[in-house]
Amino acid sequence: MNLLRRTYPVREGDFIHAGEASIHVKNTLKSLNYNQDIVRRVAICGYEAEMNMVMHGGDGVLKVMISPDMIRLKVEDSGPGIEDTELAMQEGYSTARDEFREMGFGAGMGLPNMKRNSDELFVDSAPGRGTAVTMWFTVAGGCP
Amino acid sequence: MSCGHHGPGCYVSFDAEICDGCTRCVRSCPTKAIRVRDGKVVHKQEACIGCGNCLRICPRGAVRASSTDLSHLDKSRISVALVTPILYAQFPGVLPKDILKGLKRLGFNHTVDMSYFFEMFQFATEEFVRRNRETQKVPWPLLSPVCPVVMRLVQTRFPGLIPHIHPIKRPVAIMAKQVIRTLSKHYGVNESFINMCYINPCPTKKGDIPGTTDESFTNGGPYAMGIRDIYTRLAREVEHVRNIEAIPMTSASYEFEQCTSGDGLLWGMSGGETVVSDIEKSLSVSGLDETVSMLEKIEMGLFRDIEYIEFRACTEGCIGGALTAIDKYLAKSASQGMIKLLGTGKRLNRDRINRLYEKDWFFSKRSEQGFLENEGFTATPLTIEEMRKIDGLVQLINGRDCAACGAPDCRTFAEDVVRGETPADACLMLRAKGLTGEQVMKHINSKECGHACQRFG
Repeated sequence: MNLLRRTYPVREGDFIHAGEASIHVKNTLKSLNYNQDIVRRVAICGYEAEMNMVMHGGDGVLKVMISPDMIRLKVEDSGPGIEDTELAMQEGYSTARDEFREMGFGAGMGLPNMKRNSDELFVDSAPGRGTAVTMWFTVAGGCP
Repeated sequence: MSCGHHGPGCYVSFDAEICDGCTRCVRSCPTKAIRVRDGKVVHKQEACIGCGNCLRICPRGAVRASSTDLSHLDKSRISVALVTPILYAQFPGVLPKDILKGLKRLGFNHTVDMSYFFEMFQFATEEFVRRNRETQKVPWPLLSPVCPVVMRLVQTRFPGLIPHIHPIKRPVAIMAKQVIRTLSKHYGVNESFINMCYINPCPTKKGDIPGTTDESFTNGGPYAMGIRDIYTRLAREVEHVRNIEAIPMTSASYEFEQCTSGDGLLWGMSGGETVVSDIEKSLSVSGLDETVSMLEKIEMGLFRDIEYIEFRACTEGCIGGALTAIDKYLAKSASQGMIKLLGTGKRLNRDRINRLYEKDWFFSKRSEQGFLENEGFTATPLTIEEMRKIDGLVQLINGRDCAACGAPDCRTFAEDVVRGETPADACLMLRAKGLTGEQVMKHINSKECGHACQRFG
């Protein structure tokens, strides 16, 4: 089957390695010759998702599935969960702790950015149950 | 005997007689352009960006940068030394003008200091940034085109960032263009009678043939000499100049023949390009690893609020170049001392530069930005199936990036195996597990192979 799956661990509070999974996914897509636009969009979404997990998420995983015409990113964490998903999707709404805001994160653009850069986004979350975000990307013109 | 990688297209060459296959250079290469096969180094020229890491790290001195020999200076032509401020930093406590006199004693008819062209570049850059704030023609952040290694790095590893490259001509290209035009007019000769020779802090000259022309002016002209290749002889001449005070400085006939300024000296150090500019939202990055990590982040959509980023592939900037002669921290201290003495401040008239700007004088063709000739070299793309096999092989090896196979890391080795460039049994880890090459290939060609990746590798 013409499919590539990978799972990357993401650890809460690990700012030093935050973003490495997305960089690895991005470089894989580049070696596979996907167009620059989709590489960029997947990288941005992956990075935002990773940062969310590092800041709020508890430990979790970033999963990627790559096929010729679709790319799926899925992040699953064991964090506190999102109370009001609709509110969380609003630009500027943030529940980040002050210490993270001081680091320049937590501007409330994470989920909105992911929504804007992916073709479809699903959030599955409830308080105490962790969060799963699934993003789909359609490859224009199919696989190179 | 070197290993058959002479000629244009090669910033460095490897001496196979001296190389003992230790793989240090293999691991240090940012574009994975080196392998060791059968105990000897193999250089993938097309991927080389001329950063000089291999040259720095080789314990046996088997790596050599291309350089024009002093004896190649043609006496029947007018030879011009194009001087970067990094040269002055190699002589702590010596006045820049004495170093220029020393160069003339080495056989150069003219010496041209780069500071004048740095100022031109700077004014043009400030003007471009100001206008770009309104037009947004080029996406933020702009990437400085000054370091040719970074330009080639962007082209080979980050082609998606090419639109971010600042479109103003590099100072060395501005310099080469104006000097050759002015001097050929001055002497009333054809431009081919002017031999410009760039005194180079880093290995960015291609090929060993002295006459190899470089239309792109990456090096400022067809000739380039590494600072350390002329250092001993130049030091002798400089000593002579300083002992005999009677040698007067011939008065400069052209503005650009003037000696350096404090601002010019700043350019040799990381941050020198941005510190004297009026662009507020700028960053300066130095070092190859730091540059790669920064470019990765920009590709992820970060740093959109920064307008300009100065990049230098060498740690501490050009004074850390692989072809410099003295320790970069000594050079830094020498530069700082001289800056205090000379003071800072601009010498050019901004209005004049703006008039040239209006005439599109500063805008570069892609070739003048130090781009590789073979437009956008990138490795042959892999298929999803091949990538899955690579993932599977990396998992099977479960190695420590030991490089004993001759590839820089396990993932690159796996890629080489899947591409059929190297046999699987070159891996010590697989051999230690008692796996033969055939068994390994059978595994990676099976359906179960490669469906999870826990390690970055």
